[in-house]
Amino acid sequence: MRRWIQRTHLAGFVALTITACARAEHVPVRGGIAVTDDAGRRVTLAAPARRIVSLLPSFTEILFAIGAGDRLVGRTTWCDYPPGVLAVPSVGDAMPPSVEAVAARRPDLVVLYRAGPNLTAAEQLERLGIRTVLLDLNLLEQLGPAARRLGVLTGHSRAADSLAHVLDSLASQPPASSTRSLAFIVWDNPPIVIGAGSYLDRLAALAGARNVFHDVGAPSAQVSIETIAARDPDFVALLSDSAVPPRYAMRPEWRVVRAVRNARFLFLPGQLFGRPGPRAAEAIRELRRRLEAAR
Amino acid sequence: MRYVLLAAAVLTTLTAALLLGPANVPFGDLLASPIVWQLRLPRALLAFLVGGALGVSGVGLQALVRNPLADPFLLGLSGGAGLGAVVAIAFHLPGPWALPLAAFVGAVGAMALVYRLGLMSGAELDPRILLLGGVAVGAFAAAITTALVSLAEATELRNAFLWLWGGFSGASWTTVLVILVYTPLPLVVLFAAARPLDLLALGDEPAQYLGADVRRLKRLVYLSASLLTAAAVAVAGVIGFVGLIVPHVCRLLWGRLHRTLFPTAFLAGGVLLAAADTLARTVVAPRELPVGIVTALLGVPLFAFLLRRWTVS
Repeated sequence: MRRWIQRTHLAGFVALTITACARAEHVPVRGGIAVTDDAGRRVTLAAPARRIVSLLPSFTEILFAIGAGDRLVGRTTWCDYPPGVLAVPSVGDAMPPSVEAVAARRPDLVVLYRAGPNLTAAEQLERLGIRTVLLDLNLLEQLGPAARRLGVLTGHSRAADSLAHVLDSLASQPPASSTRSLAFIVWDNPPIVIGAGSYLDRLAALAGARNVFHDVGAPSAQVSIETIAARDPDFVALLSDSAVPPRYAMRPEWRVVRAVRNARFLFLPGQLFGRPGPRAAEAIRELRRRLEAAR
Repeated sequence: MRYVLLAAAVLTTLTAALLLGPANVPFGDLLASPIVWQLRLPRALLAFLVGGALGVSGVGLQALVRNPLADPFLLGLSGGAGLGAVVAIAFHLPGPWALPLAAFVGAVGAMALVYRLGLMSGAELDPRILLLGGVAVGAFAAAITTALVSLAEATELRNAFLWLWGGFSGASWTTVLVILVYTPLPLVVLFAAARPLDLLALGDEPAQYLGADVRRLKRLVYLSASLLTAAAVAVAGVIGFVGLIVPHVCRLLWGRLHRTLFPTAFLAGGVLLAAADTLARTVVAPRELPVGIVTALLGVPLFAFLLRRWTVS
């Protein structure tokens, strides 16, 4: 029936009617809950979700941070924090999500990151009768709203609101005065750096370091070694779990960059820095500590 | 006159590549700046040499398969190089040279396979077999590459593709040295084959009657052109289009004799790629464009203009 409606001209009309009804019932009936996700869809549940599959490490961390970790019945292979999450069955790397593996966990809510292939996966899951919520999570300021909505959907609103409050106030802080500069180099050939439209750029600013590629609006961009040398950052920040200098550090063309030549590397563990998460404040403190230690 | 123009273009391009860049190097410091010595100069030379190698390789292959659409990468080389690069990353082969070396090995492997296919048919290196074999081997390698990519860790492999799509970010004196080691032999072989290649344009049999050792000629040309391309892949990834268009441009401007075609294709290919790389580095600074995009944006209008003039006259 639903599929038939989607295929006909009625679809638009039906959708309109449903939206109208939903709007009329803006205040959900007793026990029912609803949020609007970042794809503009209204996600309604009769009761707080009890079986959740999280398809992004950041969502997994948020769910644990608001006390809904025990509701998790599926995670990705990348979800490795907090340690307790490893006991939850994995549904694969979720790039793109395996709809079958997710459905096999019989979830009543699947949390997805809003991006191309995930939109299709969400549609397919909905067709199987599984509710999905699509959330943005690229920037520090998106953490609070994501936590709030996950709180509503899991019935952990109070914990979620207080976490969101902390994250929101962190996001609205003015950048700390910076005396030092850094460049995040995520790949060497071709050189790819982190720009202003990113979580890491904001973390650096709050930790008191200026990203020398803050003028690049995109989350990341390809640049030349020459540009990095000309911008002359004090530090090169790398997402790396070990403190081994990258291979390229020995190459003559890279040694033109002062920070590389002087081995001024900041090794940032991926678990804490590689994704926006509820531990943002801890990440900022850690980065500040490392900046000061490297003085 | 046209040769003077070409020489001027070579000089202008190389000078511009040294003078222009996202970093502001004062004119007086040009000779002392490590930015010029360690970054711009090796990069300009590398782009020039790779462009030259691809141009010459394109001339050789187009003459060999007698097909104007032949491109050094049409014969399965890019597929093989891609597979090599992805294998190097997926299996964490150590060392800074693992990736280029694996790409080189992959390209040579694909070349050997296509070559073997070409020898199986009755006619020696039948152009049709070479082209079809190249496409088939390329598709097969691409399939394995995709399988590896979808099974292995994604972020690193995405970056492998960035490398593979070509560019001169990794240029250094070492990479210049690598291409200087690889290219002279195939270049000499091809230049020496200029006269018999002119005969080959008449067809296999006429060339044979006119005294060319067609069998040997085809094998040498095929191996040399492929080696040039594989060397280019090893230092700069897959930069398409140069090897396709430069031979045509040179044929339109300097005629069809291979004696002039080879040197002009080398210089014109070098100019095109060095100019494209200079633009790639500077036009959207501080960001950088993939050089293949710039070669296409520069080359296609020029090519269309020449084609029009050629068809009108």
